[in-house]
Amino acid sequence: MSSRTVLFELGVEELPAGEYCAMADALADALVTGLTNSGLAIGKSRVLATPRRLSVLITDVEERAKDTEQAVLGPPISAARNAEGEWTPAAIGFAKKQGIAPSDLQSIVTDKGERLGIVKVVKGAVSVDVLPTLVSQAVNQIPVSKRMRWGRERHEFLRPVQWLVLLYGSDTIDLSLFGLNASRTTRGHRFHGDQAVEVANADVYEETLRAQHVIASVEERKALISAQVKALVSDSECAIVEDDLLNEVAGLVEWPVALRGTFDTAFLAVPRQALISSMREHQKYFHIEDQNGTLLPAFITVSNIQSKNPQSVIYGNEKVIRPRLADAAFFFNTDKQTTLASKATRLKGVLFQRDLGTLADKQRRIASVAESLCSSLGADAVTVNAAGTLLKADLVSDMVGEFPELQGIAGRHYALHDGETESVADAIEQHYWPKFSGDALPLTPEAAALALADRLDTLVGIFGIGQSPTGSKDPFALRRASLAAIRILLRFAPGANIDDLLQKASASFNEGVLAPSVVETVKGYLLDRLPAHYDEQGVSVDVLRSVTAVGTDSFGDIDSRSLAVTAFAGTEAAEALAAANKRVANILAKVNEPIGEVDAALLLEPAEIALSGALGRSRDCLAAAVADNDFPEALNQLALLRRDVDSFFDTVLVNAEDKAVRLNRLALLQELRAQFLKVADLAVLAR
Amino acid sequence: MSSLTFQELILELQRFWGENGCVIMQPLDLEVGAGTFHPATFLKALGPENWNSAYVQPSRRPQDGRYGENPNRLQHYYQFQVVMKPSPADFQERYLASLKRLGLDPLEHDVRFVEDNWESPTLGAWGLGWEVWLNGMEVSQFTYFQQAGGLECLPVTGEITYGIERLAMYLQDVDSVYDLVWSETPTGTIKYGDVFHQNEVEMSAYNFQHADTDHLFTHFDFCEREAQRLVALDLPLPAYEFVMKASHTFNLLDARHAIGVTERQRYILRVRTLARAAAQSYVGSRAKLGFPLADEDLAAAALARLAEEDRA
Repeated sequence: MSSRTVLFELGVEELPAGEYCAMADALADALVTGLTNSGLAIGKSRVLATPRRLSVLITDVEERAKDTEQAVLGPPISAARNAEGEWTPAAIGFAKKQGIAPSDLQSIVTDKGERLGIVKVVKGAVSVDVLPTLVSQAVNQIPVSKRMRWGRERHEFLRPVQWLVLLYGSDTIDLSLFGLNASRTTRGHRFHGDQAVEVANADVYEETLRAQHVIASVEERKALISAQVKALVSDSECAIVEDDLLNEVAGLVEWPVALRGTFDTAFLAVPRQALISSMREHQKYFHIEDQNGTLLPAFITVSNIQSKNPQSVIYGNEKVIRPRLADAAFFFNTDKQTTLASKATRLKGVLFQRDLGTLADKQRRIASVAESLCSSLGADAVTVNAAGTLLKADLVSDMVGEFPELQGIAGRHYALHDGETESVADAIEQHYWPKFSGDALPLTPEAAALALADRLDTLVGIFGIGQSPTGSKDPFALRRASLAAIRILLRFAPGANIDDLLQKASASFNEGVLAPSVVETVKGYLLDRLPAHYDEQGVSVDVLRSVTAVGTDSFGDIDSRSLAVTAFAGTEAAEALAAANKRVANILAKVNEPIGEVDAALLLEPAEIALSGALGRSRDCLAAAVADNDFPEALNQLALLRRDVDSFFDTVLVNAEDKAVRLNRLALLQELRAQFLKVADLAVLAR
Repeated sequence: MSSLTFQELILELQRFWGENGCVIMQPLDLEVGAGTFHPATFLKALGPENWNSAYVQPSRRPQDGRYGENPNRLQHYYQFQVVMKPSPADFQERYLASLKRLGLDPLEHDVRFVEDNWESPTLGAWGLGWEVWLNGMEVSQFTYFQQAGGLECLPVTGEITYGIERLAMYLQDVDSVYDLVWSETPTGTIKYGDVFHQNEVEMSAYNFQHADTDHLFTHFDFCEREAQRLVALDLPLPAYEFVMKASHTFNLLDARHAIGVTERQRYILRVRTLARAAAQSYVGSRAKLGFPLADEDLAAAALARLAEEDRA
């Protein structure tokens, strides 16, 4: 059976750079699934995407799927003929229903014995017949973040759809979508290419486009841009090509041509982050550093044309960036004309949240909570207090008004300009760290104290007025704040008591503002974030449950137990002991009479005597290990109990007839359980 | 290429879009923040009727005044506005052809369509589209209207807004808007600064220092009442004029920082409520006329839908 390549191209007006790749991937996945589900054998699929087209190539799609056989079962053979050897009414009825004579029925062997039936041949799907439907279905699977209409019809997509190409090898296949008919006519590059280009067959699609100045592969465009950018810098320079920006830039061009421009060195007096933001956020430029990481007065832009006169493009881009950088310089110089302290007085005019007051209120609360955290974090209270009064002042600066991502960084510059110490400036900048998941933690304990106080203030405040995040809505970024708080605590104050911390944070609000249950609510929310925190460290949700079931005093404590239990969970003893714990927990849960201490005199069977002895031996070692926070050792001690536990359950009947013996055995199990619960509730881990 | 003067640029765009079937209109004689406010865009985007138009609209943004000292920022500037309803399939190509007409070769200059979605909270309007980059500089805004006055747009209006000072600054290669050549006359060169610099200085002073806020607050309330009263009288066009006046009054108050953060939201909502009422009233008034400029099928569908809503 022969096979050919399928090409589908959806031609659109420029799609948003942040979305087109995922759209093409979804389209390809859906089409591959559709073909496979139709029973058609396929080769490899290739996803191609540019701002103006989402394309899928699937090689070796067979023309027709193999026919399949389907058995239709009738009555059992035993009921097919009567004693005289004639067809029974059941057999005749079945044959009639199938539209054939009983003599044409055959015997089919099944799990449930021999049955009368027929084997029907189901024709395999024909590619060209099913493709229109499969493509339509695949197009419906494309995620569209915001639907729009155009023209006078009700078709909807992310941007207007302009053309469709659907080919099977060199044959066109009829398809109608968005009021358009598919053909073999695509379009070349907007300016270098032709308005109408015939694709001779699916296999030459990429080359056809390339000849039209369209590089259809995202990966190829990215590689090309990276190489072009590198070629524009000298050995002593480094162009910073971050993935996010590279992806975005590749989504803005079909024919990338990198060009290098410069700006006035005078702008380098402005904080580099502001210059980089101006270049990156607004203009999508790559910036350039020297070997020491110092920003150079140059940028690289990627155009979509091979310009007749590249200097025009460079000149134009230099002309655009100049007023932007001039704005940044203007804001920086204006801001420096007043002190941070005077800016801080304006915070009382900026609302944080209606019920929680202004940014001045928030800053005051953060400062007071941070001060109370100093001793447990080993932070210098003088620095914390000084930074605490200036912490949020840069939020009212012109610089941060224009470049919100400069919060903290601008504050640092202004603090130093005002003559504050390096450590105060550090604390102001770093109290926003970590800014995102995986970002660096504050470096100094002073910054950590303020960073933690800030996160706790937001958590306690927002939960306290009942604005918990719901589903995907988390406007105050409470998830991120929680994960940041957990990380900061683990680094700087692992032993800090969680309830005390939350109590302190909520005590800084005016009475009656927060719901009385807020400490409990926020603590629950923090604990619920643990799986996300431990996701990459291989600590499972079950391990976390087993640990938090026995204690949630501090994140350090939870952390040590979780890591120990995770290591332990991989050992052979773990499974048996988890099962034993579960069994013991179930037994004890059903007891409704008081259980006392173990009475040695009532121990009768060798196995219970042995277990009691083992528990006696492990008791002190276990207590010592737990006291040292040496949970791996504690679990080693518990693992030693395994054989005695196993033989206890193998040979001893807990539910003895004699009540005293029974209660004594329950007491033994209670002691066993209590020892395990000093580390974790392993019963949670039982399968 | 000898570049176009500012007035030639406007004339060329008018000619171009006139050739493309647009009704060339003159600016609205009221203060508005953007060409979108002009009834030829906002009201014509409503309902099923077809409409193609282009015009220059002086736009006033009191907050953006800089006393004539900033080379790029003005409290009064021009937009060249094009609306085509339904948006034609080759709308982008027509726009690119207009740039060529102005002397911009897209094989020399890098022209790009970069995602930018537009929303006007005061007009209850939004649309999807792009900002158009010319060698990295935003020179136009390109939008497919999806909603206006809270009503769904069908057919969809395609809107192009050219920032003509910017485009002219680029074509003439000047760094200050005030250096733009407006016109070459027998008595010498007239520059943008000759025409508008004094206006920027004095209007900035008015907007930021001297606007009588007490009176403006009263005036806002008056405009609001008038708009409501006129809607009740089934006079959507005068009603909409008062919506625009209310909006500009709000902008003046905003420039004087006379409205606090939370109050600001309330004022925007008040204007939007008026815009919605005027929009609905306008559609009703066109329905009474049978939507004379609409394709027959769309007029019938729209009338049926309105009748349905009336019953419900």
